[in-house]
Amino acid sequence: MKCDDCLKLLEEYLDGETAARDAARVSAHLVTCAACAREFEALTAEQEVYARYDRDLHVSPAMWQAIAGRTAESRSIESGSRLGLAAWLGALFATPRYAFAGAAAVLLLAVVVGVMFLRARTGEQPRPESVARGDSPLVQSPVTSAPKLPPRVDGTARPVGFKSSDNVVSKARPPGSGPVFQPDKSGVLFTDAAYADIEDKETAHHVAQAESLLRSVRDLEVSDDDDEVDVSYEKAESRRLLNENVVLRRDAEMAGKFPVKKLLGELEPFLIDIANLPDKTTSTDLRVIKERVQKTEIVAALRIY
Amino acid sequence: MKRLTDELSLEGQPGAFAGSLMNSSADLVARAASGDQEAFRLIFERYSRPVISFIYDLVSDRDLAEELAQETFVRAFRSLAARRQETKLSTWLFGIAKNVARESLRARARDQRHGDLADGTVLDLSDREPVPVNQLLNKELNELIQNSLALLDEDKRMVFTLKVFQQCSYQEIADITGFSIPKLKTDLHRARTEMRRRIGPYVRVES
Repeated sequence: MKCDDCLKLLEEYLDGETAARDAARVSAHLVTCAACAREFEALTAEQEVYARYDRDLHVSPAMWQAIAGRTAESRSIESGSRLGLAAWLGALFATPRYAFAGAAAVLLLAVVVGVMFLRARTGEQPRPESVARGDSPLVQSPVTSAPKLPPRVDGTARPVGFKSSDNVVSKARPPGSGPVFQPDKSGVLFTDAAYADIEDKETAHHVAQAESLLRSVRDLEVSDDDDEVDVSYEKAESRRLLNENVVLRRDAEMAGKFPVKKLLGELEPFLIDIANLPDKTTSTDLRVIKERVQKTEIVAALRIY
Repeated sequence: MKRLTDELSLEGQPGAFAGSLMNSSADLVARAASGDQEAFRLIFERYSRPVISFIYDLVSDRDLAEELAQETFVRAFRSLAARRQETKLSTWLFGIAKNVARESLRARARDQRHGDLADGTVLDLSDREPVPVNQLLNKELNELIQNSLALLDEDKRMVFTLKVFQQCSYQEIADITGFSIPKLKTDLHRARTEMRRRIGPYVRVES
């Protein structure tokens, strides 16, 4: 590979995004070309400069409070429009002290409306079939005027006089039973200590995963007869861990956790190398990484963490 | 790891490892979409810092970044149910944040109140020789990077911050920005070059 070609690919290589074949060529070139290796080191050092960038931003508890308030508002509007009268009735009947009075009021309202309706109907010409059967409009009218309802799920008939409003109350949810957001009242949300705790857990999880990855690479059985070894899983996992590693290393540095930063810094070259392997690598390339893992005892260092 | 698993278990779902804190948050999203406030709070807790940092890098204004981050999470909450399962949560949130920040930048441009961003003033260190990064005060370095970032055009700034600061993959950046991979590669290379040109005179990068 020529230096020009290598330099064109260096940034992608650093990002762990080079195509497998190119990555192998860049790796090989960097071993033999001091000038390109220096360029690569300069790029890596540049990343370190950016890793020091501290925006001094803080996520205040007030920010979550504001979000919780706005989401609660949108949920209550949403559920309000969905439930409407049903929710109101549900809430009314769910409160024992108002239940009896509420039921009486609804019954009275139904009677008044029914009487008014019947009075209005008596002024109309009775239907011929009702007259012929001698049905009383006092019973017949509400049923015939009721909307058609779907059959019950269990196939049983609906009771006579069933109205659509009968299932309103049963559908209504009592307050608090639904997923209604409430603004957080716990006071403190995110302290630096809380963040530090989360970061520690994230780092522990990350280190455990990295240890598992490196151990699996170290223990891969490779023989000289193998033309190529499928490391596509290890490669994908390494790319993911590489991204996490950079963030966690930077966080560790910002938090003054230098042993953690050092450990993650030592881990990173391994992740870069594995991330840049082709999906099906040669046994020689893999053996180089395996030997480095064994020689540096990085797995042991990760396990101790 | 058992201890970690136990500590991060989510309320009511002992098996639902919030180690989801590290990986996919499908469980959190499902619960938040069904109205679980605690799940949404965990999502916020996990992603608020990257989101607000990303927005700050785009708008260069601390108060505005906080306001826009709020808006991002509110919009995210409202569209949780419509989120495509296969999209990574961080990618999806960055996508919303990008839209929110862009809308704000456009509005600010219309209001002709974007002098800070167009102003090419960089920290006054011109009388100095480049110094090793370790000798530069944090405040100076932060201002230098922030001002250099602000001088990048919007597309380059977005791609640069997603790659260099948020460690997104090229595919994730493409998903967030809607740019093609070749375009974002070009933007990223140019952004790196511009940043190097602006920072180089002040900071000696030592490998």
